[in-house]
Amino acid sequence: MSAGRNLAAAALVLGAAAPFAGSPHAASRATLDIEALAAAIAAGEDHVSALQLAQWIRDRKPGLRVIDVRSPAEFAGFAIPTAENIPIEALTRAEFAAGDTVVLYSEGGAHAGQAWVLLKAKGVARAYFIAGGLADWRDEVLSPVLPADASPAAQAAFRPIAELSLYFGGAPVAGPAGSAATQMRPSSAGAELAAIRRRGC
Amino acid sequence: MSAIVLPLVIGAAFGWTLERAGLGDARKLAGQFYLQDFTVLKVIMSAILTAMLGGFWLGRLGIIDLSAFYVPETFLAAQAVGGLVFGVGFVLCGLCPGTSCVAAASGKGDGLAAVAGLLTGVLATGLAMPVLEPLYTATALGTFTLPQLLHVSYGVVVGGVTLMALAMFLGVERLERRA
Repeated sequence: MSAGRNLAAAALVLGAAAPFAGSPHAASRATLDIEALAAAIAAGEDHVSALQLAQWIRDRKPGLRVIDVRSPAEFAGFAIPTAENIPIEALTRAEFAAGDTVVLYSEGGAHAGQAWVLLKAKGVARAYFIAGGLADWRDEVLSPVLPADASPAAQAAFRPIAELSLYFGGAPVAGPAGSAATQMRPSSAGAELAAIRRRGC
Repeated sequence: MSAIVLPLVIGAAFGWTLERAGLGDARKLAGQFYLQDFTVLKVIMSAILTAMLGGFWLGRLGIIDLSAFYVPETFLAAQAVGGLVFGVGFVLCGLCPGTSCVAAASGKGDGLAAVAGLLTGVLATGLAMPVLEPLYTATALGTFTLPQLLHVSYGVVVGGVTLMALAMFLGVERLERRA
């Protein structure tokens, strides 16, 4: 048999065996140490607050990767600045460097929590998620509220939070509890403005 | 450093192999479109088979990590139009971007002309991008693979493509024997 026919026979064997070989992706055969995961969850080492993430983004923490696990359509609507969109089904194929700090978020936090388990199974050392999802980001970063009857210590603590909020185009509210309630969510015009400011940078 | 040396070595090997296969000759390449010379089909299908089977089995054995592979994204409309433009150009000059570099490297005038045209086309597209952008980004499907399209496993697609390629080789050989 000529070299060509030998190669064709080899290709035929390999190709015919492929459908029965299972998945070639390493991630499909990942293992989970559930004891370690349960301990991490109980200790609260699995999530970070939206404020913590905001600080990391502003400080340009090296190796930080913010991952949005929602669909591309939702990602296009609104996303945390510097976020990458990796829908949850594509997450297992994604590559993360050893020193990366990966922060996952989704709309309410449920998918992000599930994605956290997937990343832990993949072996990502520093993976976290935003427990309350984008709702937390909107509440804590974009429109943080300081009640009117706050103590001076609370007011002092609120100042860096307000600065952080303004950095991200948010609208911190420090005033009477009544007016604060009506400004809980940024208006659509305010959100649009924030989006334009983000794009401009 | 290895980011420069390795591509240089791979590129040189690629160019050498193409030239050896005779793909630096515009007549041979254009002959594919007139269904007279099937060298292009055979070279491309054997390259696909080698890369596909190699990638699948090395991944399955855990020797390489498939998530390190770059999978280009699908933009259906833009890629269909671009493919049409590419096809017309290919038949017109009998060279494609890779083989035009091979022909130019062998000192062929038509190869040099094709490379010049290639670079002009790239520049023109870049300059026209504000106009082309709607088409460029339309119908974005993300990284869309055959297993996702057909809802079958990766291995089944590998088996199917292998059978298709080998059938093509047999068919083409029969055609060439008759010619």
